[in-house]
Amino acid sequence: MGDGSSNRTNSNSNKPEWLQQYDLIGKIGEGTYGLVFLARIKSQANRGKSIAIKKFKQSKDGDGVSPTAIREIMLLREITHENVVKLVNVHINHTDMSLYLAFDYAEHDLYEIIRHHRDKVNHSINQYTVKSLLWQLLNGLNYLHSNWIIHRDLKPSNILVMGDGEEHGVVKIADFGLARIYQAPLKPLSENGVVVTIWYRAPELLLGAKHYTSAVDMWAVGCIFAELLTLKPLFQGAEVKGTPNPFQLDQLDKIFKVLGHPTLDKWPSLANLPHWQQDIQHIQGHKYDNTSLCNVVHLSPKSPAYDLLSKMLEYDPRKRITAAQALEHEYFKMEPQPGRNTLVPCQPGETFVNYPTRPVDTTTDFEGTANLQPPLPVSSGAGSMPGGHGSNRTVPRPMNVVGMQRMPHQPMQAYNLASQAGMGPGMNPGGIPMQRGVPQAHQQQQLRRKDQMGMPGYPPQQKSRRI
Amino acid sequence: MADFLTSTHRAKWVFTPQHLVEKYRAANQRARQVLEKCGATLMEIDADGSLSYPEPQIAKANVEKHSRTKPLSIDEEQCIRVFFENKIQEVCKSFHFPHKIQATALIYFKRFFLQWSVMEHQPKNIMLTCIYAACKIEENHVSAEELGKGIQQDHHMILNNEMIIYQSLEFDLIVYAPYRSVEGFINDMQWQEFCNADDDFLQMLKTLQDTARLEVDKMMLTDAPLLFPPGQLALTALHNSNALHKVIDFDSYLSSIFSRQNPVHRESEFIESLNAINSLVRKYKFPERKEQSHINRKLESCWGLSSHDESKKREKKSKHKSKKNSSEAQNAPS
Repeated sequence: MGDGSSNRTNSNSNKPEWLQQYDLIGKIGEGTYGLVFLARIKSQANRGKSIAIKKFKQSKDGDGVSPTAIREIMLLREITHENVVKLVNVHINHTDMSLYLAFDYAEHDLYEIIRHHRDKVNHSINQYTVKSLLWQLLNGLNYLHSNWIIHRDLKPSNILVMGDGEEHGVVKIADFGLARIYQAPLKPLSENGVVVTIWYRAPELLLGAKHYTSAVDMWAVGCIFAELLTLKPLFQGAEVKGTPNPFQLDQLDKIFKVLGHPTLDKWPSLANLPHWQQDIQHIQGHKYDNTSLCNVVHLSPKSPAYDLLSKMLEYDPRKRITAAQALEHEYFKMEPQPGRNTLVPCQPGETFVNYPTRPVDTTTDFEGTANLQPPLPVSSGAGSMPGGHGSNRTVPRPMNVVGMQRMPHQPMQAYNLASQAGMGPGMNPGGIPMQRGVPQAHQQQQLRRKDQMGMPGYPPQQKSRRI
Repeated sequence: MADFLTSTHRAKWVFTPQHLVEKYRAANQRARQVLEKCGATLMEIDADGSLSYPEPQIAKANVEKHSRTKPLSIDEEQCIRVFFENKIQEVCKSFHFPHKIQATALIYFKRFFLQWSVMEHQPKNIMLTCIYAACKIEENHVSAEELGKGIQQDHHMILNNEMIIYQSLEFDLIVYAPYRSVEGFINDMQWQEFCNADDDFLQMLKTLQDTARLEVDKMMLTDAPLLFPPGQLALTALHNSNALHKVIDFDSYLSSIFSRQNPVHRESEFIESLNAINSLVRKYKFPERKEQSHINRKLESCWGLSSHDESKKREKKSKHKSKKNSSEAQNAPS
């Protein structure tokens, strides 16, 4: 499978063999890293099974294969957990050296679920669902953290939920493009550049910490928890674009407004953070006195939910609750208890919502691979597309604010990827396509143009050094 | 990552000696067949990134001209790999890269040439690309340009080979080197077994660790990393180091380790591994210069790079100046 025997390519209209395994349905997402497509498997064994294919652009600085793609692949190759997306396959398009990652498709994500409640159904998400989503998110995160992996980009759009099927309603943590192992790092983590989308970025990051820990993920979980309760982002700061460091004054201001100002008393290592020291007027000045998280999230200060939330939003990362501790919290022990299908409450009488399916832009072809099949009159997926070309033309979702693109992409259920990267016997052990002289893509250039805004978290043109 | 037990390294890249021999034989056999068929064995990376063996036209000419071109034997391939594995250590030292990067690059290089023969891919290019990839994976990014500059090589060659390396490694990019395991055992000795340690003892542990690292350096140049898990390599290195410095009672330390383990590992099994690892290190031999240059000439003729007009043609076609670079590196004294 995979790129294995694409040397037979020429006999089949120049379409790489790996691509022929799929019927392309359309584009479901776009980000600085590239594009995400929905496709269906053609082969007998899994016919019709939905797959999300994430296409990575080449790294923009002309420095080889995208580190974002490499991080995602190398980490996902090593981990298996029910609440973490699982890589099904990796494909290489040799024409432009781009990578395609195939995941099982998840119909929903927290961004869409929250939006649906806010804009369409006009009532909050039921308690069972909130608690189950949170529990599974923490469960996946606890697994990652105990394997020394920090995610560094947790936000509602990266938390997927499976649609109909055996895993209906199961949470999958996705998008490992910023994730890394933090055990024994060779360089300070801050050298990876800015991490975490601004609204979910922990205060130690905003204040310029050189070293940070898995606690940054727990802050993001706290923000997501609050957003599940209130249907709007907890700290909705306006981002100043184009800065090379994670400092964002308005974001800090939004946090201070709700949580009060941090003090050296409660957070002793605050004194060492660069932006705390530098910006005395704004950061150390006490603007807000009457702050109250419980009013913002409409929780009683005595409720277990509030207790858990406030422990996730603890300023001092050393005191912040860990994923393992959070799973043991009283909140999860009282009724309603969390369940596996987060979307369908086990208790009768509770309403459950039918969430809409993900919008698909059926007019978009696999960019960069379309060029591999010039003789074909239609795009690769069009032939098999229900409704045909353009009948259901849905524009891919708008970017979600502050310049952070949604990164919808999908999860799970892997087969052994081992066999797919080639290594079959015979003359082509790398399983590397043998065809020659396929015309170069002009699509590549379009991709590059879109890619000009900096990738959050990608080392900002970091000059490499010898250490 | 913390968990070696569930890693791809443990599941897929620790071989039995027989399996290893089979893999070397298969790659060698394939290159031999190509040589017979095409007259040359070197794979080329085309503009579209795909790989190919020499074209039939060139091949024909080669078959006639170099009908006596002989393939490398498995042992000769081994010599070439040994030479470049030493080079990896050299280059990494000259860049002052941490041990972790050197070890990752070495393991990548070893795994790559389990899949391919040195007759198919120029080991010098692969070596540099492995170092580049190791820097990327260990989050110690160095640009291809800078790496190329530091060793006076065209960095495009590195970029051209990068994807083939990931693919040949089957995208199993997280590897476990014994250096960290050495550290772990030293910490263990310090905190769990000998917690009443004074400064002298700590200093001796430091010496023990330093010598053990050097022992690991030696192991990393043999097949041992493909045959044994990193913990066993580290423990063997510490054993050897302790034999020299006599810092701890190693037998009782071993017993204490194995008593804490579940019965999956037995001490007797480890002693077998220890002997096997030490025997690999003892048998290791760096090829003599004369032998080396003889093999190099043979290898270049397998690549189809020995005749001038042929190499010119190829040079035009491929982006990187393979001929020039390779002969430079090969002939350079180590």
